[in-house]
Amino acid sequence: MGQDMLSTLLSAPNVETWAFYLLTTLSICLAIGVLVDRVVIRSGFILIAVFGTISGIFLLLSAQFLALAQIMIYAVGITLMVVIALMLTNPRLEREQLIVYSDESLPPLAKLFASCKRNLNLWVAVLSFVTLYAALIGENHWPLSDQPVSKDAVQVLGEALVTNYSIPFEFASVLLLAALMGAIMLAKGEPKNKVEDGDLTIVDETKKQENNLALQR
Amino acid sequence: MFSNGDEIFKISRLTIVWLAGIFTIVWMVCWALGIALPMLLTQQLGDKAALTNEILRAATPVIAILVFIPINAMFMVLIERRALALWTVRKGPNRVGPDGNFQTAADAVKLLLKEDITPTGADAVMHTFAPILFFAPSVFGAVPLLAAVTNNHPLFRVLNLPTGIFFVLAAGALPVVALVMAGWASNNKYSLVGGLRSAAQAISYEIPLVLSLITVCLMAGTLDLVKITEQQAGGILNWNLLGGGALTGLNNALAGGGAKALATSYFMGPISYVCAGLLVISLIISFWLYLTGACAEINRIPFDLPEAESELVSGYNTEYSGMKFAIFFLAEFTNLFIVSSITTVMFLGGGDNPIPPYILNNIPGIPQMVAAIRDSYFCSTLHIINPETFFATLWVIAKVYGLVIFAVLIRGTLPRFRIDQLMAFGWKRLIPLSLIVFIIVVFAREFVICHG
Repeated sequence: MGQDMLSTLLSAPNVETWAFYLLTTLSICLAIGVLVDRVVIRSGFILIAVFGTISGIFLLLSAQFLALAQIMIYAVGITLMVVIALMLTNPRLEREQLIVYSDESLPPLAKLFASCKRNLNLWVAVLSFVTLYAALIGENHWPLSDQPVSKDAVQVLGEALVTNYSIPFEFASVLLLAALMGAIMLAKGEPKNKVEDGDLTIVDETKKQENNLALQR
Repeated sequence: MFSNGDEIFKISRLTIVWLAGIFTIVWMVCWALGIALPMLLTQQLGDKAALTNEILRAATPVIAILVFIPINAMFMVLIERRALALWTVRKGPNRVGPDGNFQTAADAVKLLLKEDITPTGADAVMHTFAPILFFAPSVFGAVPLLAAVTNNHPLFRVLNLPTGIFFVLAAGALPVVALVMAGWASNNKYSLVGGLRSAAQAISYEIPLVLSLITVCLMAGTLDLVKITEQQAGGILNWNLLGGGALTGLNNALAGGGAKALATSYFMGPISYVCAGLLVISLIISFWLYLTGACAEINRIPFDLPEAESELVSGYNTEYSGMKFAIFFLAEFTNLFIVSSITTVMFLGGGDNPIPPYILNNIPGIPQMVAAIRDSYFCSTLHIINPETFFATLWVIAKVYGLVIFAVLIRGTLPRFRIDQLMAFGWKRLIPLSLIVFIIVVFAREFVICHG
């Protein structure tokens, strides 16, 4: 009896659907946890779990390579973010403080403006969510392929990256290279050896020029 | 000849006895769960047992890993301490049991019975969760390796993934998170510094590690671990260590193909020979790059900065005790084992015999011996010994534990890096070197027909 029930459960066509709902619920709960948690570091670690569940959804869509790439990149990437957060904040000394807003004396319009300004992030989030949702729902133009998933999906992905999508791929790598070089430039310290007075002015002038260029951009 | 020949003999005896014990136990568990029990159930219940049998077979590899990890870690700790004692001319563990061989068993009992302390002000949930997150990847990261190291045994074949090596790498990226988590949750400055160091170190050394494995995958043309192993079959000249198949033409010529086989594989004449030589050098370099990167990735001396005793008490695991510390300890040794297995599968031909078959089959007695094993009652009826798997696994065990002993030798030989030396070595030496090797392999492989 029990065995029959188990087999019906396992062979039911909607196991994937159940797994999808489970993963989605989990990821939404964890995402709320990221927002709600007052400790920055802990919410960083919860964010890793969110990306873990999203990679589970990728697995359900039989995109094994993407799921693994998601884990590999985000696990390390978010760890770095957590480390940076650790260095920039001091969560142990920060106690939760009630934020008191002193806009009671303002006129109503200014109060509204102040509230909008304060909740700018919220409005941006709401607007972008509505836009994305409308774009996803409004037109059903996502082509559904009835072809079976290729067994060697990695090969298909690799071929697509160097043929059809080679230009976006190259642009992404150029962008990353630029970011890397920028990081190196930022991390490069001042030259330690003392230079002659004449040289110093030249160095200073070139620096000024660089700064101006950066500002212009 | 050797003044410490006695100790060397004791260590060899210990290794052989323990390894035989470990793998007999693990294989008996696998056999009982995956083969004997389903056979019995089918005999008794007939078709009704089909689903149960499926579940049993699916659970076998995981249970095998879970049985294997603790006894393997116990053995590795013991052999590491004894071998270190041998190389640094000290006395190793010598009190508990004969020759001190029960020392790690006693340690395990002590760790299990110790009080589990959570320090004041620590984040209790994260503090508990960190060892779990550190240990879990080493369990499920080992899963795709099983099919590759057992020569695609039917019990473990289901676990083979088309993205095998990438899965292992993704699992290997997770412990960093756990170390930062452990360091932060302990409410201890030393732990925090250890966690931060481990993050910096793992991220820097993951690049040469992944690049060296990518070089191998490029030569193999696949990410599938079983395919990579199968390509390397047929003697030491086919192994990825020696050019990733660049010497296959030479191997074929030696096997009887003569000058014709050479001309097919090295179709461009002298250019091909030069490229084959370049491939051999590049792949040997990337083997050492992988070993170095892996050593840093699993925090072993000379890269054990996250737990440098002289500076940081014990680094990220300072505040851990009892079972949680035991899990950290277990995972570290399991990671060493997994790294050695990856090296074996990717570079050293997996379960391949280094002596090529055209020599082996001409030695009198060996083909007859294999045939006798295959026809015996154990093999043909009870399926206790599968000859394809049996010899492959013996080679895998020899290679993997050879690498483990090599890692212990490194630990006994080299001093610890300083943190700036570590970073400079990683970013200024290893990463450029691995990129150069990668570029050379990309171009050189066009002029040689590799792997037949």
